[in-house]
Amino acid sequence: MIELRELTDAAQKAFPADTLSPGRDASWELVAEMGWLMIRLPEELDGLGLGREASTAIHYEMGRVLSSAPLIPAQLGLQTILASETLASRGEWAERIAGGEYVPLHMLPTKLETGSDGALSGTVSGVFEADMASAVVAFLPGGYQIVPLDATGVSVSERAIWDPSRRLFDLVLDGYTPDPALAIADRDRSIALHDALAPEAHLALAADCLGGAAAALDMSVEYMKMRKQFERPIGMFQALKHRAADCKIRVVSSEAMLWGRARDETVSYVQMGALKTHAAECFQWVTEEAIQFHGGIGLTEEHQCHLFMKRAMLNLQLCGAPDLWKERAGRAALAALA
Amino acid sequence: MREEDTLDALRTEVRGWMEKNAPKDWRDASRTQDDFVATQRSWFAKLVEGGYAIPHWPADWPGGGRSLAEQKVIYEELARIDAPRLLLSFVSTYHAFATLHECASAEQKAKYLPRILKGETWCQGFSEPGAGSDLAALKTKAVRETRDGREVYVVNGQKVWSTMAQFADMCLLLVRTSNDGPKQAGITYLLMDMKTPGVSVSPINQIQGDEEFAEIFLDNVAIPVEQRVGEEGKGWAVAQATLASERGLTLMELSYRMRGALWRVAELIRKNGYENDAGVLRDFGGLVTQVDAVCAIADQFLDNRIKGIERVGDASIVKNAYSRALRAYSLLGLRLGGMDEQYLAPITFGDLNTGNWMADFMNSYAWTIAGGSEEVQRNIIAERMLELPREPKTWVLA
Ligand SMILES: Cc1cc2nc3c(=O)[nH]c(=O)nc-3n(C[C@H](O)[C@H](O)[C@H](O)COP(=O)(O)OP(=O)(O)OC[C@H]3O[C@@H](n4cnc5c(N)ncnc54)[C@H](O)[C@@H]3O)c2cc1C
Repeated sequence: MIELRELTDAAQKAFPADTLSPGRDASWELVAEMGWLMIRLPEELDGLGLGREASTAIHYEMGRVLSSAPLIPAQLGLQTILASETLASRGEWAERIAGGEYVPLHMLPTKLETGSDGALSGTVSGVFEADMASAVVAFLPGGYQIVPLDATGVSVSERAIWDPSRRLFDLVLDGYTPDPALAIADRDRSIALHDALAPEAHLALAADCLGGAAAALDMSVEYMKMRKQFERPIGMFQALKHRAADCKIRVVSSEAMLWGRARDETVSYVQMGALKTHAAECFQWVTEEAIQFHGGIGLTEEHQCHLFMKRAMLNLQLCGAPDLWKERAGRAALAALA
Repeated sequence: MREEDTLDALRTEVRGWMEKNAPKDWRDASRTQDDFVATQRSWFAKLVEGGYAIPHWPADWPGGGRSLAEQKVIYEELARIDAPRLLLSFVSTYHAFATLHECASAEQKAKYLPRILKGETWCQGFSEPGAGSDLAALKTKAVRETRDGREVYVVNGQKVWSTMAQFADMCLLLVRTSNDGPKQAGITYLLMDMKTPGVSVSPINQIQGDEEFAEIFLDNVAIPVEQRVGEEGKGWAVAQATLASERGLTLMELSYRMRGALWRVAELIRKNGYENDAGVLRDFGGLVTQVDAVCAIADQFLDNRIKGIERVGDASIVKNAYSRALRAYSLLGLRLGGMDEQYLAPITFGDLNTGNWMADFMNSYAWTIAGGSEEVQRNIIAERMLELPREPKTWVLA
């Protein structure tokens, strides 16, 4: 088994810390080349045969450099396809994906109109990097289905977002007739599949958040050592250094929980949601502090601060907003402590 | 046997013993200071008998010679069974032990260590009215003299915030023997018998009404030179051994205990009809996750220590994460308890998560102040871990 340390080293070499959000297409190629798409697949299926800790380590590194390669939706898309019990072309899709084709999972059910002929119309919002996808795994009324983007009645259109490190697309269906041969699972099984994969998505996002938070803090600390006002480095002012220390405390304790939950197979869905929320709020908080630490330059597009903040704010909303998950965590804990 | 198997076997053994021996009604039996002290003494004696009181002492002591991993198991089980925390004997088994073990002479060890196991308790006389965070500024003065043919230090001064000093038999005392050079250089470390003439102790009422700490007044107290640990003027280095003695076990134990006490908040939510209040549920969910994160970092800190990894600042991170979560925990309880909590109710001595929310809330500050304040920990993290520039040392009165 590849050691975690080696994996992290390789990731840092491939994605050096000084280049934030390197070009998407080149990053994607690199990610595929490193085998990270298949990181969790057994070696018989040409995967790296690694566990959750390993994939978490990669997502952490991708967060650190604000990667623009859509690794998380791609891994989930592949996992969904592989989990299918009915898809005849499963092996073929897996092979195509292994070869670098991008088939993201869009997790959430969407409101679509079904015509009398069974054709679907409506919009599936928030698909990551759909312009480079060959197909999207979407939750259609009948359950998860592969929707090829070159099919009749299917188009994608970008809706600009604040976060420049990612792009979101609407998948527009206009009288699209789902191909039964591309059905992954029926509705009930799809819901079960969603609930099995959602914790993985939360864990991956939590890692992304904490990698980003750690990088934003490192960047800020370096700046505070270098920037001088009143004939001294601003990092000498306790008003700033104490806040940096608080950032460190929050990042490090969130990381401890991240690794604990990555290793623990018994963690519940709600606990993973709570972890992601905790990590995303940590990321948000550190990026807010980072802007204040930097002063005016932190509020520009020229400086990198905003890249961290915009990613943090998007991450906060992905897979369910904090209020939702905190409430769920509260309810679950209350029930457990009856 | 593999290490995990040994640990599992130990866990089973400890759990069985605790279930049989740990006092269950100790909270009710700790409503007054005297009852609390009695409970503490009997529980400590029982633990000594069972072989779990001093797992961190060397193997030639009964119950000693446990690895850090084994100590962790014992503390996890203490937290799990919700046994009384060993407050009264804490300074003796950790601080006094570490000081004696690492820095004292063979005679001093032979004299004092066995007495600790018999229940002798110690207090820590470090802080002074003028020396808190800046401990090295301490002024309690010791002058070497010959009295009745004996070499002694004659000590004059005042110590403050000394936990359980009113019950202590012995004191770890820092004194100033010289004013020359840097302030750390003139400090000497003494072991003081609390019954020495000239020592007087006056308990201080803590904010929630119990007398956890005390002032110690020293008026011409003659302490034999043989009671010195290390050389004269080298007490600062000895004090570092004292302060580093406890290695994260307490914070792990306390974090686990806080998690174990989350049911108290859940109970309030139900009692006061907040089960479907989304706002309250969110706050509770946030707290539960925050407490989980604290347990994770405390756990990781100890696991790293077991592997021999520790960086400067690690312990400060655990301490601040814990103390902030403790504040959040007790504040949420206090808020949900509402007006009821503003009526005086009996307090429980020696526990941080008692369910008397106003008392718990006030007591939670102890952890952001004692043992190096929250701000001092932030300085350590910022300056020694993040390597931000230190503050200029000198300050000139304008
Ligand atoms: C419950 C409890 C038990 C204790 N038990 C013992 C004991 O058994 N033996 C013993 O010797 N002592 C004990 N202490 C004393 C404890 O060590 C001191 O209270 C602590 O070190 C703080 O010192 P101080 O109270 O003088 O506050 P100060 O040092 O005066 O601090 C006041 C404020 O100034 C801040 N401050 C101070 N220096 C700095 C700085 N460099 N940068 C930023 N902020 C700063 C502090 O954080 C705090 O907010 C205990 C204290 C408590 C609360």
